[in-house]
Amino acid sequence: MARIHLQAIAAGAAFIVAAGTAMAQGAPIVIGSSIPLTGTVASFGQHSRWGAEMAIAEANAKGGVLGRKIEIDFQDNRCNPAEAVKSVTQMLAEKKYVAIHDGLCSSAALAIMPLVERAGIPFVVANASATSIAEKSGVGGNKWTFKVNPTDASLLDALIRHLHKDGKAGGIAFLGEDSDFGRAGSDGLTQALSKLNLKLASTDYFQKGAPDFTAVFTRIKAAKPQQLALYAVSADFQNAMRQWAQLGGGVPLTGRPLVDQVPAEIMASGLLDGTTAVQPYDPSVDTPGNKAFVAAFTARFNTAPILISFESYESTQILLDAIRRAGKTDPAAIRDALATTKFASILGSTVEFDQNNLAHNNAIILTIRGGKVVVLGMSKT
Amino acid sequence: MDPSFLLQLLINGIVIGVIYALIAMGLSLIFGVLEIVNFAHGEFYMLGAMLAYYLSIGTTLGYWPTVAIVTAVALCLGFVLYEALLASLHGEGFERSILLTLGLSMVLQNGAVFLFTTTPKMIAGSLTYSNVVLGSVRVPVLRLYALGMGLAAFAALYLILNRTRIGKAMRGVAQNRDAALMVGINPHTVSRLAVAIGIGLSGLAGAVLAPVYAVDPMMGASFVFKAFAIIIIGGLGNISGAAIAAVALGVLESLMSAFLPLVLVDAFAFVAMIAILLFRPQGLFGRGVRV
Repeated sequence: MARIHLQAIAAGAAFIVAAGTAMAQGAPIVIGSSIPLTGTVASFGQHSRWGAEMAIAEANAKGGVLGRKIEIDFQDNRCNPAEAVKSVTQMLAEKKYVAIHDGLCSSAALAIMPLVERAGIPFVVANASATSIAEKSGVGGNKWTFKVNPTDASLLDALIRHLHKDGKAGGIAFLGEDSDFGRAGSDGLTQALSKLNLKLASTDYFQKGAPDFTAVFTRIKAAKPQQLALYAVSADFQNAMRQWAQLGGGVPLTGRPLVDQVPAEIMASGLLDGTTAVQPYDPSVDTPGNKAFVAAFTARFNTAPILISFESYESTQILLDAIRRAGKTDPAAIRDALATTKFASILGSTVEFDQNNLAHNNAIILTIRGGKVVVLGMSKT
Repeated sequence: MDPSFLLQLLINGIVIGVIYALIAMGLSLIFGVLEIVNFAHGEFYMLGAMLAYYLSIGTTLGYWPTVAIVTAVALCLGFVLYEALLASLHGEGFERSILLTLGLSMVLQNGAVFLFTTTPKMIAGSLTYSNVVLGSVRVPVLRLYALGMGLAAFAALYLILNRTRIGKAMRGVAQNRDAALMVGINPHTVSRLAVAIGIGLSGLAGAVLAPVYAVDPMMGASFVFKAFAIIIIGGLGNISGAAIAAVALGVLESLMSAFLPLVLVDAFAFVAMIAILLFRPQGLFGRGVRV
């Protein structure tokens, strides 16, 4: 009787150990994401979420990573540095996240950087474009931050080189949101122009969420610049475009206007013809990978991808690739694997990180011609 | 300096000023009668714009019926708001009213994010890019409509408060609630109507500005903070004061933007508000429901 009991206990113990092992093998790998789900740029947060979710769904459909399912938790940062700190601090305290993804806004990403450095968790910046993020990463000090999208400085350098070839790099007025994003835009343009001994014709910043641009547009138009570099997103961009059209436009746009989000009727009117923009992505880029991405994204979310969705999609894939190559979920191993990334982008280039943990994907130079966006070319950033 | 440039700035400023006034007048009326600062005022403006957007894409009503329907719905919402939440304050608990309307603002804003998503929505119609052009000065037709509606709303409010018994009753309740009760005025009836008109005005603002600006759940915050500054500058509860301060602010901001960085121009309203609070707390035109 005692022997039967012992056998039963041993069998039970073996079952518990086996079940525990199985559960450990089956436990999902969890990534944390801090993005604006509310606030003035929440629509961009939505696209970041969609991009990341699509990359993860594709990975899970192929059996996950390291034989485990991937999950991602999203926390709202309202594009606000204080909220970003709160959201990431909360995620780090839970100790279940193998990496932090995105941040989306430059101010938020810059606020997250010291937290991930202290915690020793990789942070993959998908969308924030401020040059200072890369300057502070890798040899710049923060070994845990990896910036997948190009910096404003490198994008604008490519743009100004292109404009200079056509003799159009002079007389650019700047109008941008008063944030790290807008300031990085004016700094990037100033630096790129200084290489040609040129300067911005004027610099203006507006408060995010301020809906009326008529006064500043009236002033800019009266000064008759050669071009206007516009750094606005979401509702600000829509308001700016409509009011620009109502005032009759008259000055070609440049910088990083979101040409894929211009209201259709303004685009079709030809008012923005002559615009020359630089972006890390455009849905019309003619590569097989991008065509497949646009089709799959549109089918899944019933809307076309934008820059944000692409950057989140591809940066999530890069993170998952690093976890796969690391062979384990140890944060230091993932960080080291990220540093040796060689990832085939859907834009046709190979993404690798430099000594500042900055990837150098292509910059897309775009123009608007006959009411349509035309890709003029791609330039390595 | 080119005179047409100055004229363009002046016209821009008047239009913007009247848009400010449209939002500030409702806020001022509610404060004047109930002594409640309605932090959810911007969200009713947003809901008005959102309703106008969905009516514009889902029906063939046209501009004026849409404005009328949205204003009527906002008036009804005002009644509901008063009966469901504000009536329980009984003219007391200023702090409670702040917390209550602040909480309501968050609920409405996040509810709108959930229901309508944060993607900015644009109403595009035949008048969207129509302008009245005088030489090199351009004024969009839809802004002129907003200007006209702002002036009409002010005139209507003037007539209600000055020429009707209920208007006099509102001013009576604002001056002395107990004395008004003693002479047979029901403060609840008057307060309910004041909230309905105040919310109706914010709905009207939403409807006339929906075709002018992008519609999104966060749009309420953009004007309402400036509206707070305006009603303090004009005198809390003083509707004429709010209207004059709004137009003056719009014009000054527009003219200053020709010479100063935009960020400084945006700060002007709040610097003026702080100065008024320090040196003339009753506002430029005095407190109380006046027109």
